[in-house]
Amino acid sequence: MIVDLLIGLPDQRPGGLLLSVLATVVAGGLAVLAGMLYATACVTAPRLTLAVQGGLAVLRGVPLLLLVFALTQLTTLPLLASGIAALFLYSLSHVGEALRSYLAAYPPTLREQARLLGFSRPREWATLRVPWTVRRSLDALGTHWISLLKDTGALVVIGIGELTTVARLLSERTDTRGWLLILLLAAGLYLLVVVAMTRAISFVTVRFARQGL
Amino acid sequence: MPDEFLTPVLGTVVLWFLSASAAVTLAGALASASVSPRRLVRRPAEGFMLVTRGVPTSLLVIVAGLAAMPYPPPGWLPNPFPGTSSGMTLVAWAVTLALAFGSTGHLAVIFRTGYRAIGPIRLEQLRLLGLGAVDRGRIVVRESAKASLAPTGARLVHHLHNTGFAALFPVADLFGWIQQRSHETFEVSRFVAIGVTAYVVLSLLIWAVTRTLEARLGAPRAPGAVPRPAPQPAAQPAPAVLAGSAADTGPSGAP
Repeated sequence: MIVDLLIGLPDQRPGGLLLSVLATVVAGGLAVLAGMLYATACVTAPRLTLAVQGGLAVLRGVPLLLLVFALTQLTTLPLLASGIAALFLYSLSHVGEALRSYLAAYPPTLREQARLLGFSRPREWATLRVPWTVRRSLDALGTHWISLLKDTGALVVIGIGELTTVARLLSERTDTRGWLLILLLAAGLYLLVVVAMTRAISFVTVRFARQGL
Repeated sequence: MPDEFLTPVLGTVVLWFLSASAAVTLAGALASASVSPRRLVRRPAEGFMLVTRGVPTSLLVIVAGLAAMPYPPPGWLPNPFPGTSSGMTLVAWAVTLALAFGSTGHLAVIFRTGYRAIGPIRLEQLRLLGLGAVDRGRIVVRESAKASLAPTGARLVHHLHNTGFAALFPVADLFGWIQQRSHETFEVSRFVAIGVTAYVVLSLLIWAVTRTLEARLGAPRAPGAVPRPAPQPAAQPAPAVLAGSAADTGPSGAP
């Protein structure tokens, strides 16, 4: 049973916790990349990107459950791809805005220093501005990734075999005594990963702070 | 169609209102306990906050729903959930409780952060004023609300979105209605569009209420926003005592 919760049911592997983590890493990672592109576009051409900003604001008002359902029903993508695409869009709507605000808050003194050192604009962005933004937004990104891991549970509505779905299926197959144990085990697994992620993010944040970054 | 649409929307609003009220109340109690100097009070509160923040709401809803399903609702239990059959009242209440637990930890952390934002000096000032516990509590809530209203609003919007998990059980809500009507009519895009509009409007309402409260409390519009400069003494003459206290505390009110 614990193996099924960790890596999925025998006919649906990878699944369980492994799939939850993979979906978080893929959707969250792609969202950071796309979010950085969005933030860069917004900071360099704020008026041209107004429509995109409005679109993301609307997207933030849409529940992840509805996004998952809509993408599954309205596209021809495979179920798993639809689910990850929904997680990506949901993540982008939150991460993009956080990165945009941090990128806009880049201190003019650093820009001036880069100019004095003779950095070209692309080099300044690549070596100073983008790393500065990522480091500053690490706390917000970390909180969002933890939330995203828990939100993978929304994939239960389309039956993708991540941890919540596997726990639900296993609990339905067992007797009345066993289901609570299975669901508690699943909750414990989520809790373990969340605590580990929180510790890792705190460690990295404190390390950056000590380095004065 | 209007009635058919209004019932699930009302179902979602009722689910949200009841569970959010419970979550805010419980979070307030937890936040108070988590800043207690007594370890016996603080530690359990922190543990509970960690658990409710670490476990997904979807799982909490499934546990609550499955636990309540086999039992008939007791006669005294009211059914305020529009569209939910009376036989499912207990499940609806269990889902409401699970939704509340799903947000309690997050809200408690927000409230605790708001409390800490008041600062130890201001808290000491309030203690020295000799006010009763109720009056002091009222001032603390009001002052901490300036820092915690915006994230509370964001969490309550997320909480609204989480009400969709009620659709995993026979409890009437907007997301369940969208799913059901899409499957019945095959007009998926139409019902998804209706659902998106309804959720965005409800989210905007929560956001608008939060912003109105923020404006009333005079909170800064955004984190790090520059506060408005204090009026010049010449333009607004003040009694000697107040002028003296203003000089002590500086333009931003900080000592």
